[in-house]
Amino acid sequence: MLRFDSVSRVYDDGTRAVDNVSLHIKTGEFCVLLGPSGAGKSTLMNMVNGVIEPSKGEIMLGDLSLNKKNLNVIQRRVGMIHQQLHLVPRLSVLHNVLTGLLPDTGFWRSLIKSFPLKNQRRACELLNEVGMEEKHLYRRASALSGGQQQRVAIARAFISQPEVVLADEPVASLDPAMSRSVLNSLKTAAKQNGVTVICTLHQLDYALEFADRIIALRKGKIFFDGHPDDLNESTQSQLYDLARAEINTTEQEAA
Amino acid sequence: MNSNTEYARHWEQWSLYRAVTPKNIVILMIVFVLISFSAHNTGIDRAAIETGRAVLSAVGIGESQVLDGAVRFGGKAFPIQISKRTEVSRLESFDRNNLPLFAYVEKGKSREYDALTETWSIEESEFLVEPIGYLLKVLVKMWETIEMGFWGTFISIMISLPLGILASRNYTPHKLVYTFARGWLSFHRAMPELIIALFLVLMYGFGPIAGVLALAIHTSGVLGKFFADEIENAPPGPQLALGASGAGRLKVLRYSVFPHVLPAWIAYIQYIFERNIRTATVLGIVGAGGIGMELKGRWDLFDYDHVATILLVIFLTVVVLEYFSQKIRKKAL
Repeated sequence: MLRFDSVSRVYDDGTRAVDNVSLHIKTGEFCVLLGPSGAGKSTLMNMVNGVIEPSKGEIMLGDLSLNKKNLNVIQRRVGMIHQQLHLVPRLSVLHNVLTGLLPDTGFWRSLIKSFPLKNQRRACELLNEVGMEEKHLYRRASALSGGQQQRVAIARAFISQPEVVLADEPVASLDPAMSRSVLNSLKTAAKQNGVTVICTLHQLDYALEFADRIIALRKGKIFFDGHPDDLNESTQSQLYDLARAEINTTEQEAA
Repeated sequence: MNSNTEYARHWEQWSLYRAVTPKNIVILMIVFVLISFSAHNTGIDRAAIETGRAVLSAVGIGESQVLDGAVRFGGKAFPIQISKRTEVSRLESFDRNNLPLFAYVEKGKSREYDALTETWSIEESEFLVEPIGYLLKVLVKMWETIEMGFWGTFISIMISLPLGILASRNYTPHKLVYTFARGWLSFHRAMPELIIALFLVLMYGFGPIAGVLALAIHTSGVLGKFFADEIENAPPGPQLALGASGAGRLKVLRYSVFPHVLPAWIAYIQYIFERNIRTATVLGIVGAGGIGMELKGRWDLFDYDHVATILLVIFLTVVVLEYFSQKIRKKAL
């Protein structure tokens, strides 16, 4: 269970990235964070990750307070799927997944890539869950397609048996069909392992399709929080407007 | 769009690029004068004149010292020396019924100088001829040279790998260690092999040990700097991801940096290996083992036919090694 108690984060330049957010996320929930750039999604994620500390309030994972003092414990209990994935290109799929277990592997064992067979089985199980086949096991990560790399990153995040997995725009660079299939893998893995997932997305459609719970942010404040079915027409159109507003801003920035 | 718009000139007044300006001409003249001085200092002008003379002399006009030198070597170098001919009386354990493979005994004349009477005496004597004896000897020496190159490279890696990690800005335990490691590597790099070999021959005596250590010390400076630079330039993303999952720094190094830098390292180690073999052929000149010792000995005796054999063997070995190392490189990358 993940609990935000009136959490705020103010940056040094005075921006209130997250403003008095209180949340109660149940174990095993698939939460989607929506909101335009600068709404505070990344700040919220990085606070769960222990990288950023809240200026006010507290975040609790079970009975563990998430702050920099507990960084080592947090890193083991919170998995992360980065937007750019950050797989090791020249390492095989299997070993890429196993790198998630490096903190628990002895130094000499890890030096010669000799991971315990039990862990390797577990990696295979996870890879199977996210839809990878045996023929991919020893291919280099760089030889995989974008969607396959994404699946490997998901498996890597889940192998250390975290309580929470954070996914930062996991489908940003994929086409719609592949996006659906990857999100499906993510959700399956989460349900199978009973892991809470917090996932940022840009596309409302995917959120409506996959989320157990949608949390929309605007200017650091929660703007909508609830089951996708609870979204009424007006909130939904407001969310679309937010997405559109963002497209306009990025276009202006580009110009 | 931007604030410069109001000062914009009409396009006909835009400043155009001129390649030839008085400033450029002056700079070029100064550079020419400096280069001329330097060329005279190093004798480049004389080299040009002598080479020209040699070419003219080759087609029959005038005389040339350079061409004479080449002819003196070339005339004695061919045919190259492949067989080995030893006077039987000088062999300690000579068994006429049990000759080495392909060897035979021939009769010939041996000239001997009598220092007392200051006369040459010619005697009939027997010689043991081994048809490819000298070539075999050179090949054995060449193999020793290759082995020197191998061990030089191996020890060099042993030295430069830990030093390289300590000398990379993002994996060094402390800024001071970084500075120290970089300095040490520069020190190794700054000492030429021949100079190191001179000292090591004094310490370890004649033989390959001095050569191997000299190669290892010099090239570890080169390799270590390269290792360190590659580690520093590895993509930060995977390192960040593994670090964020709680893996220690050495494990991050092992799993996100090593796989990335390995192909470049292999290519560089191969280059250093080839280079070490080439250098090892020269190191023998100061007595540090390998084929260079034989070369130097024969050169001082004016045995240019033997020298030609050695040079050919060195040349062919280097070509063959480069061919194979190209093949391996293509496979590894």
